[in-house]
Amino acid sequence: MTATTAEMQRETAAPRGQGAWGALWERLRRKRLAMISLVVIAVIYGAGILAPLVAPYSYTRQDLDRALEGPSAEHWLGTDRLGRDMLSRAIYSARTTLIVTTAVILSGSLLIGNVLGMLSGYRGGWVDSVIMRVGEVFSSLPGLMMLILLNATMGPRVVELVRWVEDHTFLSGLVASGFASYLTVFAALSLFFWIGTARVIRSQVLQLRERDYIMAAEALGARPRRVIMQHVFPNVSFLIILEVSGALGAIAGSEIVLTWFGVGVQPPAASFGAMLFEGSGARTFQSHPHLLLVPGVVVTLLLFAFNLFGDALNDAVRGR
Amino acid sequence: MSGQNRLLAIMLGVLAALVLVVGGLSAVLLLGGEGGNSDDGDGGPTGVSSGGEDNGGDGASASGRLRLASTDPVTLDPHVAGDAGSAEYIVEIFGGLMTITPDLEIVPDLADSIEVSEDGMQYTFTLREDAFFHTGRRVSAQDVKYSIERAASQELSSPVAVAYLGDIVGVREKFFGLAEQVEGVEVIDDRTVRFTLDAPKPYFLAKLTYPTAFVVDQQQIEANPQNWTRRPNGTGPYELSEWRLNERIVLEANEDYHLGAPNVQEVLYLLSGGSALTRFENDELDVSFITVNDIDRARDPNSDLNPLYSTWPQFTISYIAFNTNVPPFEDADVRRALAQSIDRRRVSEVTFNSMLVPATGVLAPQLPGYTPDDKTFQFDPEAARASLEASSYEVTEDGRLLGPDGNTYNITVTEVGGGAEARIDTQAFLEQWRTELGINVEIRQTDFATFLADQDAGRLQMFNAGWIMDYPDPESILDLKFHSESNLNDIEYTNEEVNGLLEAARVEQDPERRIQLYQEAEALIIQDAAWIPLYFSDSHVVVNPAVEGWFEPPIVIPRLRFVEVNR
Amino acid sequence: MGAYIIRRVLWLPVVLLIVTFLTFTIARFGPGDPVSVAAGQFRDPAVLERVRAERGLDGSVVEQYGRWLRDALRGDFGESFQQQGFTVTELILPRMWVSAQMGFIALVLVFGLGIPFGLLAARANGTWVDPLIIGTLLFMRAIPVLVVIPPLVWLFAVQFNRLPVGGWDGVFDIWWIADVIAVPIPDPHLYIPLVALSLPGFVGVARLVRYTALEVDREDYVRTARAKGLSEGAVTFRHVLPNSLLPVVTVVGFALASIIEGAFFVETLLGIPGIGRFTFEAVVSRDYDVILATTVIFSAVFVVMNLLVELTYGFIDPRVRVGASRE
Repeated sequence: MTATTAEMQRETAAPRGQGAWGALWERLRRKRLAMISLVVIAVIYGAGILAPLVAPYSYTRQDLDRALEGPSAEHWLGTDRLGRDMLSRAIYSARTTLIVTTAVILSGSLLIGNVLGMLSGYRGGWVDSVIMRVGEVFSSLPGLMMLILLNATMGPRVVELVRWVEDHTFLSGLVASGFASYLTVFAALSLFFWIGTARVIRSQVLQLRERDYIMAAEALGARPRRVIMQHVFPNVSFLIILEVSGALGAIAGSEIVLTWFGVGVQPPAASFGAMLFEGSGARTFQSHPHLLLVPGVVVTLLLFAFNLFGDALNDAVRGR
Repeated sequence: MSGQNRLLAIMLGVLAALVLVVGGLSAVLLLGGEGGNSDDGDGGPTGVSSGGEDNGGDGASASGRLRLASTDPVTLDPHVAGDAGSAEYIVEIFGGLMTITPDLEIVPDLADSIEVSEDGMQYTFTLREDAFFHTGRRVSAQDVKYSIERAASQELSSPVAVAYLGDIVGVREKFFGLAEQVEGVEVIDDRTVRFTLDAPKPYFLAKLTYPTAFVVDQQQIEANPQNWTRRPNGTGPYELSEWRLNERIVLEANEDYHLGAPNVQEVLYLLSGGSALTRFENDELDVSFITVNDIDRARDPNSDLNPLYSTWPQFTISYIAFNTNVPPFEDADVRRALAQSIDRRRVSEVTFNSMLVPATGVLAPQLPGYTPDDKTFQFDPEAARASLEASSYEVTEDGRLLGPDGNTYNITVTEVGGGAEARIDTQAFLEQWRTELGINVEIRQTDFATFLADQDAGRLQMFNAGWIMDYPDPESILDLKFHSESNLNDIEYTNEEVNGLLEAARVEQDPERRIQLYQEAEALIIQDAAWIPLYFSDSHVVVNPAVEGWFEPPIVIPRLRFVEVNR
Repeated sequence: MGAYIIRRVLWLPVVLLIVTFLTFTIARFGPGDPVSVAAGQFRDPAVLERVRAERGLDGSVVEQYGRWLRDALRGDFGESFQQQGFTVTELILPRMWVSAQMGFIALVLVFGLGIPFGLLAARANGTWVDPLIIGTLLFMRAIPVLVVIPPLVWLFAVQFNRLPVGGWDGVFDIWWIADVIAVPIPDPHLYIPLVALSLPGFVGVARLVRYTALEVDREDYVRTARAKGLSEGAVTFRHVLPNSLLPVVTVVGFALASIIEGAFFVETLLGIPGIGRFTFEAVVSRDYDVILATTVIFSAVFVVMNLLVELTYGFIDPRVRVGASRE
């Protein structure tokens, strides 16, 4: 559901060659909007990475005497129903977003999507049919509903599994750290976020295969993998970047939505979805708007930055 | 176009959007303030006082019509219904041999007189002469027998039949397909029916007030076995006249009701829509629940809602339960330590705005055997640490418990999560356990189906749950949840002394002595800290002043016929 | 083309078969089942076993799936546990109808507003209006529906008291002019859900139209048309608009998907008796037959939609049309 822009432009010739990355960066750097977006993303993700260092309080620390307070000197963004610091919770929620988006991009979009896409495009024949049909089945599934169903049923099973691992190995504290729920969310999202990349890659590979230099390489006896690595990959890498930047927002959004429905990241791990849930409701918004506004503004900023950056990247890749 | 221009324009765009939003908001705030003032000028809650105008279209039914918010019932078949939502409708449409009055007395409904044998094992009911189905057919002893046998039948496979009717000889046999008939129900003559029990059970009559024992119309069911519940024929004070899924249910008064005709002619249940309170204030509803977000407004003596607001205790308790078979909770001292280190009162104040009453024991207010004095463990960190000291467990560095067997145990509390956030009070308790005892309790949220599966499998170590009593007898909680042989004892709690008391109470014929036995059992259970009783619930409602005699009973009972609407 | 269409149409039942089997397995993979949920407080394992057998919930997953498939092919999608005494079809159809009406209006809004705004932005390319529109749109799109709804409800229902808080009361409301003339207007219950539902799709379509309009603008035949002295309006409507519609058609599927997804939150948050909310409730209470039936419907809608998009794509292929109009 995310691939519209990227798919649309898949026929555009991507820049090639050694200095392409440098050139891309140069073009990007001249776009102020892209840079501002990048800074916003960096700040939010940076806060996520450095959460234990930058968060003023622990995200679980409660102070019942100071519940539901507005912004103050001690609590810059106010406190929630249990007197927890909203700023700290937002920072740790950013950490959750960071973990989930990175994991899904790495596994779903990059690993699965690239491998299957290349395989499909390069091998063709029945391999191509199988992969593309599987992708088609997945994209004809009602996405959100399947994600909710998957998480609701898989969640408890994954927790059981992780517990078993804890009991039988030296590992411990996995469940406590929220690892199990990250794992569920990430696995479920990965199932859906490989398709876009795979399709883009496949069509690129198909186009490139017709090009002389690839055919020449093959005729000279180069093995398929080498051909892919040397020629195809550099050619499609820009498209992959585009695809990934397009998917980021959707993945972050999906995690928030799943958690909002109660089937995503589980407490004690903090998530924007959980924060938004706490603040939703017209009456809650009337009496304590900061419960919704704090996570709402951060999420909006992040998604806005993803959108703008994606656009700018698009332009840059196409040589503008 | 240069990048700079584009940047500038986009910032302008954002600014424009912000201006629109903020401007709109502040305009509304201003206007809203004025609107509120003019409301006050009209005197009282606008909607409530000007009800007639808003309802102009329905002039014909404006009087004697009660409008309530509700949801579709899971089923209107009294024999399979297991949830309170369905029971709300069923008790108004159907009836059984016995019923419960608003004072929680158990009185005859279809029965005229009841004779109990010396040994307390046989109940002989004589039926009323004037008890009719809505269709006008008189209720006979054969109808009673048919109903019990239908409820217990294999084909119906009701999940609740055995629980409510299992005391009658032959019900289990029928349910598991070992018998054609229920041996313990005999038709003596057209107006007399006799029940035989497997043991003397003083609470038997109370159990008959539950829908599973209600009387249904054999002719209707056999004529239309699939869809009869869409327009069920019952013997209750109200008749279902319209049911549009997800939209509305309309109940019409049964003028010939044998216990007295209802006052309200028509009850309209609206089955969808947003916030009930807002609709109440728009005069779309006559009764609305108050949620934690509005409670301040309802309590404020200056608010419109305050004079309409009332609270009613319910037979509901929420608690934290320990699986007493699973380490570390086989050690009562560990359980006590956890019970002593949470401040329920404070947590309820902050997180629920004191809408929930801290529990004083296991038995809820209005239940026989309830006493107002607090019998539970109080918040006492010193004592909690002492309890932990006395236990065979030690707290490790990372907040787990090191047992006498050398194993370290994680502690996890499981609860049903409806939305994204864990129950807010549980999170507060977690923090208190961590600060007072140094124990890191993990929280695990599951959906309802998963929770039940785990609970049934005994997989839960410690869980947050609630219990709704079905009839006003201490048996409906103490025996069911704490007798070691009970199917519903999901915490493997075994205390021979408690078992003895509960068994004695089952057959004790002297009511006062019986209550005493239950109180003794309750004290032991609390002392063992098998549960941490958390709160008793109250029902918080606002009621339109035109509605008279509205009440929120602690359990589901027929109540609509006692209410009046003056419009 | 004909063989292709036949192949695609034959593909539909295969997809549905795979999708239902997947859903069936996933739903039963989780712990818990509808019988224990229906039993509520009283759960005697022997009793539950008996009930499961009676309701066909015993045996292996494949066996159960076989039974379900056999019944489904006969048009019997089973019974709900959360709403007993009604068939799944009876429960789903009215809710489907509610969501479908709302979704259709949202879809109309998405394209009805998206296309003009996109063209407007494209026309204004080079001036400050274009980025202003695009910037505003981008910003609006970034606000998640979850964040938008509570303030909207608070604003219009609580503060203003102008709109209902939620619920559903049909598509049309009658507006009386002097108690004589009846004017049908969209029902006020619809306003907030429609804003929330159509916002993301609207923004997407507007941006896409702007983009393609600018691309088409650079094409030779448009330049030729301009050179011939056609007015801007004529150029826009005769050349730019038709040729930028193709990519717009391809996103109908995506727009529909985003509306269906949005329906989950919108219906949950606003208490609208539609299929999204119903499905979510079914998932958490493991109401198997309802989950399956809704999956079948959604998947069928998606597959058919994609098929239609592809067919339309072939039908209005720009290369054909451009070739013709250039003469």
